Amino acid sequence: MIGYIIRRILGLVIVILLASMITFFLMHAIPGGPFDELKMPLPAEVKAQILKKYGLDKPIWEQYLRYIWRALHGDFGVPFQSPTETVLSLIARVWPVTLQIGAITILLSFTIGILLGILSALRQNTWIDYLVTTLATLGTTVPNFVIAVWLMLIFSVTLRWLPTGGWGEPKHLILPVLAYFLAPTAVIARFVKVNFLEELRKDYVRTARAKGLPERTVIFKHVFRNALVPIITLLGPMIPDLATGSVFIEVTFRVPGLGKFFYTSAFNRDYPMIVAMILLIAVLWGITYLITDIVYALIDPRITFT
Amino acid sequence: MSRRFVVSLLVLVMALSLSPAFSAVKNSAGRVLPPDAAPLEYQVLRVMSQPATTLDWFISVYKRTNEANNYFGEPLVRLNKNFEIVPAAAKSWSVSKDGLTWTFYLDKNIKWTDGTPLTAEDFVFSFQLAADPKHGWDFAWFYSPIKNWDKAVRGEVPPSAIGVKQGKDPYTLVITTEYPAPYLPMMMLYSTPLSKKAYEKYGPYYNNDPKTSVSCGPYVLEEWTKDKQIVFRINKNYGGRVKPYLEKIIVTFGDPGTSAFKAYLAGEIDICGYSNSQIFTPADLEVIEKDPELSKQFHQGFGDFRTFYLGFDCYNPPFNDLRVRRAFAHAIDKEAIVNTIIKKQGIVAYGFLMPGFPGSNPEGLKNIITYNPELAKKLLAEAGYPDGKGFPALDMWVRADLASPTVVAAANAIGAMLKKNLGIDVKITVKETKTFMDALNAHKLQFYLVSYGMDYLDQSNMLGIWVSTGRHAWKNDRFDRLVKEASALLDKKKRDEMFKEAEKILVEDVGGIFLWHQTPGALWKPYVKGKDLEPDKYGITALHWPGIEGVGTTIFSIYISKDVLKYRK
Repeated sequence: MIGYIIRRILGLVIVILLASMITFFLMHAIPGGPFDELKMPLPAEVKAQILKKYGLDKPIWEQYLRYIWRALHGDFGVPFQSPTETVLSLIARVWPVTLQIGAITILLSFTIGILLGILSALRQNTWIDYLVTTLATLGTTVPNFVIAVWLMLIFSVTLRWLPTGGWGEPKHLILPVLAYFLAPTAVIARFVKVNFLEELRKDYVRTARAKGLPERTVIFKHVFRNALVPIITLLGPMIPDLATGSVFIEVTFRVPGLGKFFYTSAFNRDYPMIVAMILLIAVLWGITYLITDIVYALIDPRITFT
Repeated sequence: MSRRFVVSLLVLVMALSLSPAFSAVKNSAGRVLPPDAAPLEYQVLRVMSQPATTLDWFISVYKRTNEANNYFGEPLVRLNKNFEIVPAAAKSWSVSKDGLTWTFYLDKNIKWTDGTPLTAEDFVFSFQLAADPKHGWDFAWFYSPIKNWDKAVRGEVPPSAIGVKQGKDPYTLVITTEYPAPYLPMMMLYSTPLSKKAYEKYGPYYNNDPKTSVSCGPYVLEEWTKDKQIVFRINKNYGGRVKPYLEKIIVTFGDPGTSAFKAYLAGEIDICGYSNSQIFTPADLEVIEKDPELSKQFHQGFGDFRTFYLGFDCYNPPFNDLRVRRAFAHAIDKEAIVNTIIKKQGIVAYGFLMPGFPGSNPEGLKNIITYNPELAKKLLAEAGYPDGKGFPALDMWVRADLASPTVVAAANAIGAMLKKNLGIDVKITVKETKTFMDALNAHKLQFYLVSYGMDYLDQSNMLGIWVSTGRHAWKNDRFDRLVKEASALLDKKKRDEMFKEAEKILVEDVGGIFLWHQTPGALWKPYVKGKDLEPDKYGITALHWPGIEGVGTTIFSIYISKDVLKYRK
């Protein structure tokens, strides 16, 4: 297993290198630059100086090698959007905000999603099931930014219970989390319901029941565990997804998190930030999949690593 | 004097001192608040803005915010609500007979918060920094009339060679120009200086941190929480002539286009819709119109004299043929676009200069290009494209930052008109801003929809962007000559005539098809009051350009009235 993990980590390093290379060359291929010429063209000399200031006057391969060299030494550069800090300090400042919302969302959506899923499986074709199905359909079909606007109109504009946005107090967390958590909760609830129903129909459940085991033991000791194993597949990708935030949610609720930097960095041609963000995502996804695979093996004895 | 009289006088004085007129409240900077003003703790204005990288003009023009600028410094002049230049850091100014040398006499009462007086040295330093190619300033094209400016920007002469110098004493600033530039004082709206001392000590971003920030303007920096908010506090030692009423200005960061209207409805901000990033969507306008309270809070304005227009690559076929350009111009029904799509957010444009802008001539230009589909067809056929046959399919680029739902709807309407009237297929593409500008500035854009808003109130600014060295792929030698010569003329009458002729050429030669002038509105709460929010000399009640920026006078007249007690908790 250790050999397997080492191989996977080595693979991750290659993925990161490739991702950085592709991003680096692609972003330089897009027209425009860190200079702004919204009204009139800048004199060529000024443009050249701006490029020089950011080291963009060198050949692209040289820029890339210099970048990698500096990155290996922990220097990811200075974001053009926020020149008073470094890329790392910016990420260190804004990421915890996104993580906070992400963590609460994951916690809530898994707890509520699993609960609703089990309930609707056990009470199939009752009002609970219909309610969960309606919620799940809403959650999966209505985009979170639309939900965000609904929530804002109800709780901020009409009722004035909660602020339309901002950050710093617990009340600022409520609407972003609510807008965020509906979709994953819906997916989890549907997934749990289907798995549960499938497990309930399996032979071993019939055997357990035939043996005279109480229903509670059948459900919680046998069905529960088997039905939940596939949820790890869901949890895996959700972590990097929620940990890097949503542009829409953060912009709508004015959350000073990482999510909006995906958007602003691209639009401002903030090259150091763009590469850093892509690397961050690559690392997060790589590690998440690695951990998911390991956890699989731990839970399901049929899976072995070679 | 009898004792009775003295006693009566004393009683009268005491009575008066107890009356509201005499029990006036002064704010922290010593300005007496109007009688209907709310208590001091309510004198806080809350607005929303895009996050900023800097607040200083001379550090970066585009990385500042439009909504929270120039409170730290004192520009040489300010603009009042009637668009007249009024003294600020310069208490007066004069020009030499040849119109080449401007002398600004600085107000000696203005000091930086570190105790240093504001002198010509700070202005000279700021301008030299902007001209220094090493600084890579993003608005380096702007001060071109200043002597040696362009040469310094190109690195041909040192920045110290530019025509911005100290005069006979530290309180005299002398600006020389390459040619007479009667609009120079207007350009000096944009002259909010950096503190040379603070810059040299703490670097270009000294104003980003309350600990190192230095102000000579009406406000000081109290707090700057990155990506969250900036709080400005009144400068108790401000020596300038326009002391504000407001104790604090809180600038919440957010995307005004997405969030400002909702935050306004929720009572979290006091003003919205006063900058280009806060244009209301048609849906917002509907909400406003249907709500009796909100519609009272809506004030129609005219923004920054912005004109939306279609542009062409006139250097290459098919648009190098005037008949094709004229055909396009005659095929578009601007009245219909404004009446059905733009509605109250714009008026039909007949030229580039919006009514109210100096030298604008809508009546004189109105009949040059009229909606005439038959004539359009005929012209296109003469150019070799009968019924659009053989005409290349077009891709109309719309610049993303301007592509509000309203503008995209107008672009689609134009596409439909060109198809119906000329048989030409037009695809509409909303193009990311930098990609768009890269192509436009390189004169590689074939057909596009964009807008331009003024930088200063003079024809040389708006018409100057159409000279062939600018961003458009259109060249007319007579236009170039007229604009260049008129810009340098001191004789106002002759100057206006020449600009008028230049604009007529621009319309006749179809450098662009001018569609509509933007007339955005702003909302402000009933408790936000002030002289600058009252009707101007034209009778228009609007938050005039430049809004609440410190280069205008608005921010100094605004106060919060007692009505706020009904609204704020």
